[in-house]
Amino acid sequence: MAKNLSGDLQVASANRLVDGMVVWLDEAGQWTDRLQHAAVARDPRGAEILLERARAEAFTVVDPFLVAVIEDEEGTIEPLSLREKIRASGLTFEAIAADAVRYA
Amino acid sequence: MPDTHFYRYDDYDRTLVAERVEQFRDQVRRRLAGELTEEQFKPLRLHNGLYLQLHAYMLRIAIPYGTLSSRQLRKLADISRKFDRGYGHFTTRQNLQLNWIRLEDAPDALAALAEVDMHAMQTSGNCIRNVTADHYAGAAIDEIEDPRIWAEIVRQWSTLHPEFTFLPRKFKIAITGSPNDRAAVRVHDIGLRLWRNPQGEVGFEVIVGGGLGRTPMIGKTLREFLPRDELLAYLEATLRVYNRYGRRDNLYKARIKILVHEVGVEKMREEVEAEYAATRDGALRLPVGTIEAIARQFAPPDLPPRPAISGPVEAQRSSDPDFALWLKSNVAPHRVPGYAIVTASLKPAGSPPGDASATQMEGIADIAEAYSQAELRVSHEQNLILPHVAVEDLPRVYRSLAALGFAEANVGKITDIIACPGLDYCALANARSIPVAQRISTHFASLARQHDIGDLKIKISGCINACGHHHVGHIGILGVDRNGVELYQISLGGDVDFGRTALGTILGPAVTADKVVETVDAIVATYLDAREDGERFVDTYRRIGAQPFKEQVYGPL
Amino acid sequence: MALYSEAGLPASYVALPFADWKARPQWPAVSLANTDPVEDLAPHLGRLRLIILEFPKFSDGRAYSQARLLRGRMGYRGELRATGGVLQDQVAFMLRCGFDSFESEQPGFGDALARARTLFSVVYQPAEDDQVPAAHRRLQQSNAAAS
Repeated sequence: MAKNLSGDLQVASANRLVDGMVVWLDEAGQWTDRLQHAAVARDPRGAEILLERARAEAFTVVDPFLVAVIEDEEGTIEPLSLREKIRASGLTFEAIAADAVRYA
Repeated sequence: MPDTHFYRYDDYDRTLVAERVEQFRDQVRRRLAGELTEEQFKPLRLHNGLYLQLHAYMLRIAIPYGTLSSRQLRKLADISRKFDRGYGHFTTRQNLQLNWIRLEDAPDALAALAEVDMHAMQTSGNCIRNVTADHYAGAAIDEIEDPRIWAEIVRQWSTLHPEFTFLPRKFKIAITGSPNDRAAVRVHDIGLRLWRNPQGEVGFEVIVGGGLGRTPMIGKTLREFLPRDELLAYLEATLRVYNRYGRRDNLYKARIKILVHEVGVEKMREEVEAEYAATRDGALRLPVGTIEAIARQFAPPDLPPRPAISGPVEAQRSSDPDFALWLKSNVAPHRVPGYAIVTASLKPAGSPPGDASATQMEGIADIAEAYSQAELRVSHEQNLILPHVAVEDLPRVYRSLAALGFAEANVGKITDIIACPGLDYCALANARSIPVAQRISTHFASLARQHDIGDLKIKISGCINACGHHHVGHIGILGVDRNGVELYQISLGGDVDFGRTALGTILGPAVTADKVVETVDAIVATYLDAREDGERFVDTYRRIGAQPFKEQVYGPL
Repeated sequence: MALYSEAGLPASYVALPFADWKARPQWPAVSLANTDPVEDLAPHLGRLRLIILEFPKFSDGRAYSQARLLRGRMGYRGELRATGGVLQDQVAFMLRCGFDSFESEQPGFGDALARARTLFSVVYQPAEDDQVPAAHRRLQQSNAAAS
C-alpha cells in the first residue's frame, strides 16, 4: 500500500550541471542517479532541511527542488507526479533509435 | 565545400561562427568552474541553442530557412551519434533538436557543426530566432521570388545584433515568396509576404503581431508594400519599438503581439514609421550589389530537361496502389516540367512524429545527393523535402525512401501529425503528446482510409506554449493537467494553409488519454457523413459548424 | 562598484537623475532610467558630458536602444556609461551600441573589457562602433577586384 497521502514524503532532485542528467540527493549529501538511493524526508520540517542541504550542495547541479514521493512496504520510492515519474524512468515510448536508452 | 544552390559561407561567416564557438567554450568553462552563476549563464547557453529539459540538455541546431545539403545532413547524423543517442527531432521551426547533449560536450558539438557551416546561434532566448521560409522555395510552381534570399539577409542582420539580444521575449520571423503561404506568416511575430504590386514591383507585405501560445493572435498588416531594399531598415525600426516598449513586467504578456493588441495596430504603425523614417536612408539600406550577390547564390540548379510524363511511373501508378497514393499525397508539382517536389514522410504509423535516426538521416542524405541536387528542406510540419527530383526518378526515390521507412503516403493526411516533444521530454509540458500521436496514427494507418478521409491536419501540443501549433490544426489537441491527470482539449477548424489563417474553436470538455482516439474517430465519422462533393474536413466544418461534431463526440445535448 | 572608463571623467562626477535634471537642464551630467525618453535630451546634447543609462537586470535590454539613439541619430559625443546589470559577457554588445564607460561589480570585468573589442573580428550589422559590417567589406572587395 502506498504511503504519503498527505504529501509529506519528499526527496530532493536536480539536473547535473555537467551533463543535465537527473539526480537525487542521498543520505551522504551526494547526488546519485538512482532514485532508490535518495534521502527521504518524512515531514515538513525534514523536507525544509533536505532542501537546504540540497542547495548547499548545488555547486554541481542546477536548481535543486523537492519531489513528493510515495514509498511502499518494501521501501521502493516512486514519485507522485507523472512529470517526476518520467524524469525518473525516462521516455514512455520507444524512441526511434535502438540505442536510445530507457533507464530504470 | 561543394557548391550548393543556396547561400555558401565565405571566410567572414566562418570566422564569426568560429569566434562564437570559442566564446561559448570559455563561457562553459567558467560556468563549470563556478565563475558564472546559473542565472548569468542561462541566457548565454540559450543564445547558443542549449535548453535544460526534463532528462538532459537539448541542443536546437539552426537550419536557416529549412535548407540543408546532403553533406550537412550527414554531419548532423554524425553529431547525433557522437554527442547524443543516435537520433534527432525536426521541429515546427525547421530546426533539428538533439535531446541528450552534455553541457561539457556542447562546445565540441558546436565546433563539429561549424565544420559544415552550421551553428545553434539564437535558436533560443529572448532574441531574433531562426528565420523560417517556404519549404518549397526555389522549386514551387507558384513562387514570385525565392524568399530564402531575404531570409539569409535577415539572418545575417539579426545574428549577434548588439541592440536586440535582450528583447522582452523571443522574436520569430517567417517569409513566404508565394501567395500560397506555406510558412504560416500570419502566426509569427513578423511575417513577410513577397508580392507584386500593380506597377510590377516586387515588395513585402509586413505583418506584425501573430503568434500562438497562451494568447493566439493572427498578425495584422503593418505595411502593405515595402520596397525590398528597405527591409532591414524597416525591421530595425520595428524591433527598436518592440525593444523599447514591449512589456517586461509579465513573461506571458511580453511578445510583440501583446504590444500591438494593447496600443492598436494604427499606433504601432505610427511608431514604427516614425522610427523608420529616421533609419531608412542610413547604413541599413541594402545596396543592389549586396542583394544580387546573395540572390546569385540561390540561383536555381541547372536542371537538365527530363520528360514530364514517364512510362515507368505511369506503369507503376497503375500496378502499385501504394505508389499511386504516394504520388498523390507526397509528390508536388515543380516549376520546371519533368521535375517534382517529394516529401519524405517522417510520420510512419506508430512512430514519434518528426524523428529520424542517424542511419535514416544518412540514408536520405544519400537519396538527396543522387536524386535531388544534394539538397533537402525541413518543413514546419516536421517532414523532410527533396526539392528537385526528376519525374523519371520517382520510382527509385520511392523505393529508397521506403527502405528507410519514409515513404508512407500520408503527407497532409490524418496521420501526418504535428506534435511537440511534450511531457516525455519537455520541462514546460503538462501532458504527453508523442504517445497520443502514436495511438492516433496507428489507428488510422490504412492508406486507403486516410486518402478517403483526405486532407486533415492534426496538431498536438503538450502545453499552452503551443509548439505543436494546435491552434491552427484542423483538429487541434492540447494536453492539460488536471489534478495530476493528463487531459486533452480538442479544438476544430484551425488552419494555416492556402493563404488562410484561422484559430480553432474548442469543441467541449477535455477528454482523457484513452478517449482521444475514439474522439477523433467520432469527429472523422461526423465529417464523412456530412461532407459534400470534394469538401475537405475543414471545409465541411466551416459549412456545418461545431454542433454536429459536439453531438457525435459528447452525445446529444 | 568599480568604474571602467575610457572617456576619463572622474567617478565622482555627479549625474542628476532625469527628473531632477529636467529642472536644471544646463547640468552636464544626467542618469536615465531605461523607461525615460532619450529624445528629451536632444536640445542639450552639446552641453552634456556624461549620460548614465541603466540595466536594471542584465537581461533587460532597453538601454541598448537608448544608447544607439543617443550615439547614432542624436549624435552625442560625451561619455556614455552603463550601470546596473553590467556583466562581461554583454560588454561586447554594449561597446557596439556606443557605451564607453561601465560600472560593474563583477570580478574580472576589467580584463574582459580589454578583450571585448577583439572577441569578434566579423560583425554582420552596422551599429555605433567603427566595425564595418561583412556585407560592406564584401562589396569593397568585389569592387576592388572588379577595378
